[in-house]
Amino acid sequence: MSEAMRELTYAEAIREALAIALEADERVILMGEDIGVYGGAFQVTGDLVERFGEDRVIDTPISELGGAGVAVGAALTGMRPVYEFQFSDFSMLAMEQIVNQAAKIRYMLGGAVNVPVVFRMPTGSGLGGAAQHSQSLEAWFAHVPGLKVVEPSTPHDVKGMLLSAIADPDPVILFEHKLLYKTKGPVPEGDYRVALDKAALRRAGRDLTIVATGIMTHRALEAASILAAEGVEAEIVDLRCLRPIDGEAIVASVKKTTRLLAVYEGVKTLGLGAEISALVAESEAFDYLDAPILRLGGAEAPIPYSPVLEKAAVPQVDDIVAAARGLAQGRV
Amino acid sequence: MASEVILPRVDMDMATGKMGRWFVAEGERVREGQLLFEIETDKAAMEVEAPASGVLRGVRARVGDVLPVGAVVGWIVGEDEAFDPDLQALAGELRALLGSSAALAERASTPSADARGRATPLARRLARERGLDLADVAGSGPNGRVQALDVTLYERPARAEPSSGAAQGARLNRLWLQKGEGAPLVFIHGFGADLNGWRPLLAHLPAPRPAFALDLPGHGGSPLAGDSSFAALVGAVRAALAGEGIRAAHLVGHSLGGAVAAALAAERMGGESGFRALSLMLIAPAGLGPEVNSAFLAGFLRARSEASLTPWMRLLAADPVSLGAALVKTTLRQREGGALVEAQTRLAESLFPDGVQAFGIRHWLADPATPTKIVVGAEDQIIPPRQSEGLSGLIAIHRFAGVGHMPHLEARREVARLVEELAKAGG
Repeated sequence: MSEAMRELTYAEAIREALAIALEADERVILMGEDIGVYGGAFQVTGDLVERFGEDRVIDTPISELGGAGVAVGAALTGMRPVYEFQFSDFSMLAMEQIVNQAAKIRYMLGGAVNVPVVFRMPTGSGLGGAAQHSQSLEAWFAHVPGLKVVEPSTPHDVKGMLLSAIADPDPVILFEHKLLYKTKGPVPEGDYRVALDKAALRRAGRDLTIVATGIMTHRALEAASILAAEGVEAEIVDLRCLRPIDGEAIVASVKKTTRLLAVYEGVKTLGLGAEISALVAESEAFDYLDAPILRLGGAEAPIPYSPVLEKAAVPQVDDIVAAARGLAQGRV
Repeated sequence: MASEVILPRVDMDMATGKMGRWFVAEGERVREGQLLFEIETDKAAMEVEAPASGVLRGVRARVGDVLPVGAVVGWIVGEDEAFDPDLQALAGELRALLGSSAALAERASTPSADARGRATPLARRLARERGLDLADVAGSGPNGRVQALDVTLYERPARAEPSSGAAQGARLNRLWLQKGEGAPLVFIHGFGADLNGWRPLLAHLPAPRPAFALDLPGHGGSPLAGDSSFAALVGAVRAALAGEGIRAAHLVGHSLGGAVAAALAAERMGGESGFRALSLMLIAPAGLGPEVNSAFLAGFLRARSEASLTPWMRLLAADPVSLGAALVKTTLRQREGGALVEAQTRLAESLFPDGVQAFGIRHWLADPATPTKIVVGAEDQIIPPRQSEGLSGLIAIHRFAGVGHMPHLEARREVARLVEELAKAGG
């Protein structure tokens, strides 16, 4: 590891990206509930308020619609606001500003203005947050033209993608899985960018393709090492970007492996896996499929509070292993 | 823990089975291996042995019931074990509900009426490119679905040895004897036997590993098509493993099956076949020396009745009781029709001409790439146990006193332990 490459947690990597952006561009401001003195619901902003002051790290009232509206308005005036939702679930209160305003204004005004706002959304289950604090709503936003939607799975990617998002002229939704905040990984110093439209190949394999996002990428990788002991080599595609989606990467992988498993935490029906499946079925990869496409998504239920049931409601490593095993052996 | 008693597959094409009579009543004590119930097929009534010792509880199948293969017909529980059959069934349903996504992937493939003409897109494309009519290709996938492998195998009809083996492999009778976690154990039986011979050993395996077994060509439910060479046997097993999607496994082979396993394990060094042996367990293996009991082979193949077969079968084990009373009957039943004996006679002429083992595995064992154990019985009267001497020091030799040619039956507990140890060592 070079000097410039240290291990940081996912949360530290976000904080570093925010600090770099605040340092480099005075138009960048942070907004959100309890992101100042308290340091953020997941301690992501931390001490940034001490370093950059309350004018640039702004605690907003407990009104997501109001806060998001101010952020969109600020972006219209040329600012570069980064608005943090405490939980992505609360973005439901701000849908008007995100979907009807931020996503549409550049289009409706013929390109006369941009809305360079970033919405940061802690997402997913696993911390016992129950039904209103644990959802995975990525697919809702990925359905809206005018938004860019990304879900980085590593500290390296989240820093680079957040810096790309802040510099981007359009609204970007950044999903951060809560279980990732404390995970560590190598992160380069300084400013670097990761594209907002490219998937990453995390593991090469010949027997099947597993397309996953966020925390599911890590579970898929763990499953892959179990499967490898059985002689099944899974290829893992970390989607990273949900809108625009990197169809090319998925199609190329499926053409190679002939089998596809989509793993995602959001509710299975009408979710991310449906898009991935359809995309492959419509592509040239169709003629390469040697088994039905399989989706492994969240249960058709609100996320339960009981830790046992919470775990059972979203795909775990064992589920991925079982599904991949069946798929690789043609038993589906 | 309660052991499930399931309706086993006793016939190659069987999807359902008709319950015959129970030999043990609800609440009665039963010993492992004791005859438990009968299954009636079109041809005969087949006897099923108890998978464990204990008390028979929760009997849920009556004479005449037609049930799918794998259906739970009862449980064998410990003497003092609390047991509620309803709760047991409910727990099964709950597991299925919670793991519904995973269960989807594992769901049993139920044959459907419109199974003909199914093919994966890849199989269709390959068939199109090769000018093949898919209707000619037999599908090995779920519901008879034609997969890429079927088209590839079809395209290469019997030419040279390996291809002939591949064509046979597609037709080999094979069975997952048990499901479980981790890399599978693959069992390859010896000359004159079949995959059912592994069941008693399996009952003693401490960890629930997936276990896969097949019938060699000319044995059990597998026909012998064409080539009867040793290379063709290896090729057939290789193709059957590929067809099943098994790319790495712990190989367990007995006698002739041991030699086949050693050949498969050695191929990994060449790296061509795509199959990787994680460990190798050879039980009374053939191929280590020239001599084999030719009188046994001749007598075994010639025998047509219980009276003429029994004396030869006694030579197999030091204590013939350990083989079980049903073995002679089953062997004779399989010989009805004569095709199997004819096939095995041809195999014997090719593999053991003039009473000599015409194939050798010593060169493959010179530098074993995977953990390897050899189990022999000191009283083996079929293959002299001294043939296992003089091998690489990397290979462990387990020599059992008072045991003959069938250590996996005669010392099944100990051999099961060795299989588990070796599988652990093989990762």
